[in-house]
Amino acid sequence: MRELTSSPALPRVARNLAAPSRERALRRTALAATLVVLCVLPFFVNDYVQFVINTMIVYCLVAVGFNVVIGYLGQLAFVSAGFFGVGAYATGLSMAHLGLPFPLAAVIGTLAGGLVGGLVGLPALRVRGHYLAIISLAVGEILRWVYVHAEAVTFGAGGFTLPDVRLGGQLLGDKGKYYVFLAAAVAAIAATSLLLRSRFGRAFVAVRNNEPAAASLGIRVKRVKVIAFAWSGLVIGLAGALYAALNGRVSPDSFGLAQVLLHFAIVMIGGLGSLLGSVLGAVLLTGAPELLRNFPGLEEIVFSLMLIGVLFFMPKGLGGLVARTVPLARERLFRSNGDA
Amino acid sequence: MLVQLLVSGIAVGSVYALVALGMTILYRSTTVVNFCHGEFFMLGAFGVVVAQQLLGWSYGVSIVFALVLLLAVGVLTERVLIRPLRNAPFVTLAMMTVALSYLLKGVSRFFYGREVVPLPPLLAGEPIELGGAVLFAQDALIVGFTAVVVAGFFVFFQRTQLGKVIQAASQAPRGASLVGINVPLLRNAMWGVGAVMGAAAGILIAPNTLVYPDMGGHMLIRAFAAMCLGGFGSFPGAVLGGVTLGVLENLVGGFVSSALVEITAYLVIVAVLVLRPQGILGEGRSVRA
Repeated sequence: MRELTSSPALPRVARNLAAPSRERALRRTALAATLVVLCVLPFFVNDYVQFVINTMIVYCLVAVGFNVVIGYLGQLAFVSAGFFGVGAYATGLSMAHLGLPFPLAAVIGTLAGGLVGGLVGLPALRVRGHYLAIISLAVGEILRWVYVHAEAVTFGAGGFTLPDVRLGGQLLGDKGKYYVFLAAAVAAIAATSLLLRSRFGRAFVAVRNNEPAAASLGIRVKRVKVIAFAWSGLVIGLAGALYAALNGRVSPDSFGLAQVLLHFAIVMIGGLGSLLGSVLGAVLLTGAPELLRNFPGLEEIVFSLMLIGVLFFMPKGLGGLVARTVPLARERLFRSNGDA
Repeated sequence: MLVQLLVSGIAVGSVYALVALGMTILYRSTTVVNFCHGEFFMLGAFGVVVAQQLLGWSYGVSIVFALVLLLAVGVLTERVLIRPLRNAPFVTLAMMTVALSYLLKGVSRFFYGREVVPLPPLLAGEPIELGGAVLFAQDALIVGFTAVVVAGFFVFFQRTQLGKVIQAASQAPRGASLVGINVPLLRNAMWGVGAVMGAAAGILIAPNTLVYPDMGGHMLIRAFAAMCLGGFGSFPGAVLGGVTLGVLENLVGGFVSSALVEITAYLVIVAVLVLRPQGILGEGRSVRA
């Protein structure tokens, strides 16, 4: 895989690897400053805003995980709501049935998401393009059907309420959850960023840009695809675990077609193949409905107009826009087709 | 029992077939997989509701209004949203149709919210007895209309000059434009025709279901299932797949479990795409990216 980074096919990646150290230091400073701001944030907001912020964190994770499949691996697979639901149900059910503490249940939820991700990756080896989009929609709905009908385990269509979410014996309020969520999200996004910069991440992009060419360079396309789907499942599964803790409730309605569309809009508007974009998209699209909630349908209209605008004028989304104006925010593995 | 299930299966399946046929036309002539076809279907029904209940027009005029409305929506969609992206990769086009589906759903929800609007049947009258099975007039109308449309289609594409021109334009757009066929115009027209067919299906089924903003999503999945089952991109496949799916759903509901009906289409999609991606009537060619 070493040959790939130095191959003439991806010169931009190679150049970006050698970022000047001053830029790197600046980037670190900016990152640290952001983290500090995030850590003191709860002292300045009320409970309602805190809840919205917690929701934003959950969707940041969803978007980052979804982006791995549709942005980096370039497979149009609408799987996010499925992974999200598996994560939430696995977490909630292991708390409700087995009485496990939240942290352990969240680990189970995350792993369950990863497992389902890997399994869903298997048909993706045979099925491509719009077929993959269709089959992934179908898988998501089949999962939702299971939640509704496997009543003995999943409590059926009405969903169920989680036992108290505790950490080390202490009940977690919205502010407490915020720090847990923040830590989990920072860890997961950092890990994703590292993965994307590793040989696997480069292999994702190579597969996206040209599958036969990637295979001819010795990339094991099948394995790479399964890894990407499994990773996406892990991250979105974690998001599901946090989502269950956030609401204290899990019900099948939360994981339907509307959710897939929301996730899709977040990733597209944020920017395919941009982690920063995913985070921005999640913040924007989770915040906007709070302002539009009194107008049914308006949320969909605004989102779809944004989507259309992005498709026409801003193919790299918010992430691309920010990267163009703030060079510091440039990501190393940017979309490589066309200009950057 | 069996006959009854078959009869109602064929009635439901005819609607699936109509929707799938509309999508297939679009797919064949433009290679776009239209994720907003379900919303064309929904808008058709809403067009009738608006004309009838807001403007007070008669049923017949309302239907004409809805069909003309959808013709305009289809043609405009192609001109405004799709044509500027004609050189974009398929994923971008698919995403554009997803965005449009979102938009149309939002618009209808903006006006109708969570309301569920009933529509009276087009053909009232006594149910018809058919060898132990009961066929409602509306269902008979659906089956009859589908049969006429399907027959008309095959005659049009196989026997008429224009039908062959359209086929040529979709099979070899470059070649077709070289011999003087106006390919963009044809594609534009096909978007209009596809939307009208979606709307027609929506209008036909609306009295049986009810009209609400989310009614398109389910139909879209069923049309996909029908297309996959019959062979993606094949006209006879879309019809065969639609009717088969309708019958299958009814048989599953009657003999296995009524809870399984709603995911029959999903299971069909997964099974077909994994086991025989080209479908029943599809060519041996494997899936295209």
